[in-house]
Amino acid sequence: MKERLKKTISGDKLILLGATLVVFILFTALNKNFLSWTNFVNILVATSLVGLIAIGHTYLIIAGQNDLSPGSLAAFSGVLAALLVSNGVNLILAFIITIIAGALVGVFNAFMVNRIKLQAFIATLVTQSIVRGFAYILRGGKPVAISNKAFIQIGKARFLDIPATVWIMIVAFIIFGFILSNTRFGRSIYAIGGNQDAARLAGLNPKRIVLLSFVMMGVLCAIGGIVFAARMNSGQPAANVNLEFDAITAVVLGGVSFTGGVGSMGGTLIGVFLIQAFNTGLTMVNVPSFWQYVAKGALLLFALTSDYLRKQNRERQLLEASKRNG
Amino acid sequence: MENILEFRNITKYFPGVKALDDVSFTAKSGEVLAFLGENGAGKSTLLKILNGDYQPTSGQYLINNEEVHFRNPQEAIAAGVSIIYQERQILMELTVAENIYLGRMPINMLGVINNRKANEMAEAIIADFGLPIKASDRVKDLSVAYQQMVEIMKAYSRENLRVICFDEPSASLSDSEIDSLFSIIRKLRNEGKIIIYVSHRMSEIFSITDKVAVFKDGCYVDTVVTSEVTDGQLIRMMVGRDLGDIYNNLDRDKEIGDVLLEVKDISSTYVENISFKLHKGEVLGFSGLVGAGRTETMRAIIGADKMISGELYLNGDKIVCKSPHDAMRRGIVLVPEDRKTQGILANLDVRDNINIALLEEHSNKLGVLDTKAEDAVAKKGIEDFSIRTPSAKKKILELSGGNQQKCVVARWMATNPKVLILDEPTKGIDVGAKSEFYRMICAFAKQGLGVILVSSELPEVIGLSDRIIVMRGRKIAGEVMREDATEDRLLAMGMVDINADDRSDIA
Repeated sequence: MKERLKKTISGDKLILLGATLVVFILFTALNKNFLSWTNFVNILVATSLVGLIAIGHTYLIIAGQNDLSPGSLAAFSGVLAALLVSNGVNLILAFIITIIAGALVGVFNAFMVNRIKLQAFIATLVTQSIVRGFAYILRGGKPVAISNKAFIQIGKARFLDIPATVWIMIVAFIIFGFILSNTRFGRSIYAIGGNQDAARLAGLNPKRIVLLSFVMMGVLCAIGGIVFAARMNSGQPAANVNLEFDAITAVVLGGVSFTGGVGSMGGTLIGVFLIQAFNTGLTMVNVPSFWQYVAKGALLLFALTSDYLRKQNRERQLLEASKRNG
Repeated sequence: MENILEFRNITKYFPGVKALDDVSFTAKSGEVLAFLGENGAGKSTLLKILNGDYQPTSGQYLINNEEVHFRNPQEAIAAGVSIIYQERQILMELTVAENIYLGRMPINMLGVINNRKANEMAEAIIADFGLPIKASDRVKDLSVAYQQMVEIMKAYSRENLRVICFDEPSASLSDSEIDSLFSIIRKLRNEGKIIIYVSHRMSEIFSITDKVAVFKDGCYVDTVVTSEVTDGQLIRMMVGRDLGDIYNNLDRDKEIGDVLLEVKDISSTYVENISFKLHKGEVLGFSGLVGAGRTETMRAIIGADKMISGELYLNGDKIVCKSPHDAMRRGIVLVPEDRKTQGILANLDVRDNINIALLEEHSNKLGVLDTKAEDAVAKKGIEDFSIRTPSAKKKILELSGGNQQKCVVARWMATNPKVLILDEPTKGIDVGAKSEFYRMICAFAKQGLGVILVSSELPEVIGLSDRIIVMRGRKIAGEVMREDATEDRLLAMGMVDINADDRSDIA
């Protein structure tokens, strides 16, 4: 158990927690309101969508894949769910249809990667554009207002003074964290991310695992989109642009290697919190929004650089170890 | 000027592999020094350290008694160390002169390249080498031999050239072309360059080199004067061990049973009409040249490559394997040829590597893994196959090559297979671990498994197999019983007889 605890709070994550602390101290020094319960909850609420997407990216990037379509798909899902409900479809049924649509987009992404052998990055760029298009097409580009009380309530309800949307994210982190580290599917994700050929020769079915990961991401985007729409009281076709950017940054900050095969859900959780604190902080200390883009880019560069350095460090440690083991 | 190149106690580690172990040697001006050793002896690693492609983990690299630290090949070239590789490193679309002066073409005051001057300078070198080519010729129009000469001239055109290494330079040359290569090498030697010559061909070593440095398993053995040794002595230094005892002491007290696996007329994109039978308790060897289709046959059997036609029977029942997963479920497993890229899962630890084929068995309906069962399988595998690792949680890459391979074998044996296919299982593994593998293979056969052993090492395939199938040009060329197998016979069967079979693409 002790060993397990040690493994969970490894050096990398301590550094990450330290970085989060630095962000908090820095922004608090610049704006006293940064360190308050209200702001803390605000950050958590803002993470509730990007957190779900980051869960999907954790799986995909460990599996050696990626996804640039979540922002579009979340927007599409919000519009679709709102539209169905406003047309009198039963709330639960509307959600189920939206989630199935998300899963189908995942199937489409996996099809391009598995069958047309496209790189995930470019394949999902295709989806990003197509799905965004459909988000506009559904209602001629206009937002769809939500009048259904139960739907709106998802965005408003609180439990223990924490909004339901945050609880949804927390539960998702617990469930998908468990799946990643304790199930056959999770183990397969790591195996195919290291080397698909070797994993196939070891009796795994990489294509099926890739398919499941993309479908999972599609479902998470749909849920995220529904929750976001509930918070906004409407389905917004232009919403969530660059959502995947924040999610990918969070995942890489959290220690998932861009080369695949390495990472954990705990790291992603901290990464998501760190990046949202960073984004909220920038706004609170009045950094102009144009400059925020520059700052975000710099943060992703920082994350990728530290990924590179971690990888070098791993290789150095391996070399040392093989010297010892002769 | 007299030049001396010296390696002092050079050691080079890669993750899981000690490629060079305490190598020391000296090369002097006016000498042609050969590097001799089997595949995997460390020659190419040495060359890569020489030209700055790799940096030694420890030890000193000295030129004229001054230590040098090349960070990349450019620095080595600038310091006068050049390598002529087997594969041409020249640009086919450019002219001879442009290749020779690539990156340092003479320019005029405006920075415009002066082609006329480059051609003049190149013509001078061509004349010096006595070659019938022109500086303005396009390299792609030249023969392979002259292309190689262009590379040599490129190295030679640098005024400070001190060391020139040839990596299997004769591989694609005809006899007369080799003669002209040798006369150039002698010219360079007489001008005081240090020449290092890497080749497998004994006749060349004796005709061109003055001294031979012999390497074995990443270690330096000795340097001898070429004129004072025989090829027999050199071979003994290279091999330096007698595996005969190991083969003779293997436990062969077993019974060969009924037909276990019947392969009937299978073809894939890479092999044609393969048929053979494997019995219970039998070790069936597969011999042949690299590229003869042995690996591809095995990949077709386990469904890693698509089988176009043909049938498989296991214990008399027809089976279909569409993927390695299918094959595994039926009890046919493969330890692949390339351990690093196909065998191990490099990012996982020893425990997960051993358990990866048992994920289905170890998970409940929801897919949750029974970690205790996994721990037990890992522990048993580590004990049964005496895998030397500090713990089951170690990354597999931290282990030595032999122990990594044992993990792959342990992975498959944990699935209780019926047919175990081993493709070059001892490649790049030290002698001690090899003999462990040999004992293991015999033990598996004794347990009643059918074992297929694909190996390019003739003594290994003869020493271990009950029966040997020889492949040639994507087909089965013949079959030999252990009693009748000799290295000569297997080699002869595996080589294409050009007169009888006019398929020069295979040769």
